[in-house]
Amino acid sequence: MFSNPTFMFIQVMNSFALGMNLFIIAAGLTLIFGVLRVVNFAHGAFYMVGAYVLMTTTNLIGNTTTGFFVGVAAAALVMGVVAFFIERFLLSHLYDKEHLLQLLFTFALVLIFKDAVKMIWGPLQHSISYPPAFKGAVNLRISYYPAYMLFLSVVGPVLAIGLWLALEKTRWGRLIRAARLDREMLNALGTDVKLVFSAVFVFGSMLAAMGGALAAPRIAVDPGMDGLIIIDCFIIVIIGGLGSLWGSFVGALILSSLTVFGTLIFNEWEIVLVYIMMLAVLLIRPWGLFGHADEERH
Amino acid sequence: MAKSFKNTVFATTAAMMMASGIAYAEETIKVGILMPVSGGGASYGVPAVNGVKMAVDEINAAGGVNGMKIEYFVRDSQLKPDVSVAAARELITKEGVDVLVGAVSSGATLAISELAKQEKIPLLAPIAKAAALTSSKLHPYIFQLAATTDSEGRQMADALSVVGAKKVCVSGFDYAYSHDLFDSLAKNLKDGIEIVDTFHVKLGTTDYSAVISQLMGSDCDTVAGAVWGGGFIAYMKQAGPFGIFETKKLVWGAEVGSSEMAGALKGDYPEGMYAAAYDLWYAEGSDAHKKFLADLAVIEGTKETKMYPVTTYIAIQFIAEAVRKAGSADPQAIAKALVGLSIDTPLGTRTIDPNNHRTNTGEFWGPMVTVSGSEAKQMSPAEYLE
Repeated sequence: MFSNPTFMFIQVMNSFALGMNLFIIAAGLTLIFGVLRVVNFAHGAFYMVGAYVLMTTTNLIGNTTTGFFVGVAAAALVMGVVAFFIERFLLSHLYDKEHLLQLLFTFALVLIFKDAVKMIWGPLQHSISYPPAFKGAVNLRISYYPAYMLFLSVVGPVLAIGLWLALEKTRWGRLIRAARLDREMLNALGTDVKLVFSAVFVFGSMLAAMGGALAAPRIAVDPGMDGLIIIDCFIIVIIGGLGSLWGSFVGALILSSLTVFGTLIFNEWEIVLVYIMMLAVLLIRPWGLFGHADEERH
Repeated sequence: MAKSFKNTVFATTAAMMMASGIAYAEETIKVGILMPVSGGGASYGVPAVNGVKMAVDEINAAGGVNGMKIEYFVRDSQLKPDVSVAAARELITKEGVDVLVGAVSSGATLAISELAKQEKIPLLAPIAKAAALTSSKLHPYIFQLAATTDSEGRQMADALSVVGAKKVCVSGFDYAYSHDLFDSLAKNLKDGIEIVDTFHVKLGTTDYSAVISQLMGSDCDTVAGAVWGGGFIAYMKQAGPFGIFETKKLVWGAEVGSSEMAGALKGDYPEGMYAAAYDLWYAEGSDAHKKFLADLAVIEGTKETKMYPVTTYIAIQFIAEAVRKAGSADPQAIAKALVGLSIDTPLGTRTIDPNNHRTNTGEFWGPMVTVSGSEAKQMSPAEYLE
């Protein structure tokens, strides 16, 4: 099996495409944690909302390629607006409180979103077709490969570089990095830290919804889809380092490779493989591969 | 005088409360329903509860059973064994239910069954299929109304012969249900058909790309699958672009022939795949079946009714008949009455086998094909196999 180069090529491609989808979602979680220091359990629920908004949009305007992109944008927008209200009117009151309260709050959001999704969209499983432009397979000469997986493989790195540039080269990026390092000082220097927090929470949540919309054509859309993804996201940010963009990129690739190759090599052990990896990272670098030890101080 | 009056009032009130309590207990049959009504399992649990509601409303409207009304209590089992057991315990101790109906997954149902055995409360399992429930784990209080992996494996072997399979790959979630099913399939294979590869995935996974690539590389001509629910949708969506539907035949268990699945996948449902379903809204059936579907259409608000309501509807029918036969709603009397009980259901006569507490539950089997005027594929011809 492993002596077959075509087979190995496909598996590497599979790992990358899956990893890129996971990265988009986990990037939002790590960004929010990096700046707000809030572990958002509801990130998976936001991902689920994204998938459902895409479904409604494509039902309304038709499942064309344009409809799909409008749907992905709508998913991010709708979740952004909802996240704004959550942050401004609820979460922002908890920043000074102990972490336990923040955890309870985001956990409560999970339950509320689950029921809200069931009330709005019903309990049944749904399926969204691939956008027509990415429906079939592309001839890569070595083999045919699903077009949608290639699309994900392109979107992920583009988004990663875009996010990195935005964080490194723009004024907002500098403010976000400053808020991550020392929010009191940033506040003392006259920056509206509240606004930075708000923007980061909104943007991070939009990434979750976008990730959900992009994942939707490959999976079933149902009111339980938040549960698995949040576990994956936590594994990624723990391996990669909480708060690190490239950490979540690498963490996502590690998780997806373990999933794909784990299934092939140690089928029986695939489930524990990921946790063994996580344990190893926690033992050797408790702050994650790309995290910083000193961030624990805050 | 005043004091004794007060005492009299107390005594009378107490007596009335006690009397009404006793009367209440005698007048209702309390049924505990354990179904996943939240999260991913809600797509089974919510329709299943509709089936309960329909049966209970019909029976109560007709005056109940021996004058007793049926009262039911729904608890969320969430597809999780621990949550299911906690909910079942609460139903038994707090609500004082006489009989339990549930759950969806075999794992959760096996866990509740253990509790039912300890507490001596009959449990009717309308959906969970693992043969273990009524073989190695059989006890006097478990009754498996679902088709079991024993019969499903036999039917799947027949289907493989029909489609002309020679070399078969099997693929399912790595847990009790798939293991039992493929064991049964292996025992029933005929016409020289053999299983050449097994590709299992972990329960609840959403990424199937690794196994799909493995399937593509295997020289099997047919895939016999048992991945169900949302997993089935994801599996088919991810397999499609690899061209697997063009190169291999598909025979799939786990009731993915339901109109729910066909309705969700629409054009992405593999054409010609052999699949099974407990009930089909478009199936030709008896007058009792037609009436059942018409009544269900009113509750669900669509003529394209779902597959699971019939399973729990029949469970309530069994409970009502057992109480009628036993002459009481005492849990142990119900359990005794259920053994060997035979009833007329919308899908024909069903009898609980006294030896293994299973029923002769059949399923519709057939190829899923495009039909004019419907976005969802339909099973045609659909054959009812026991």
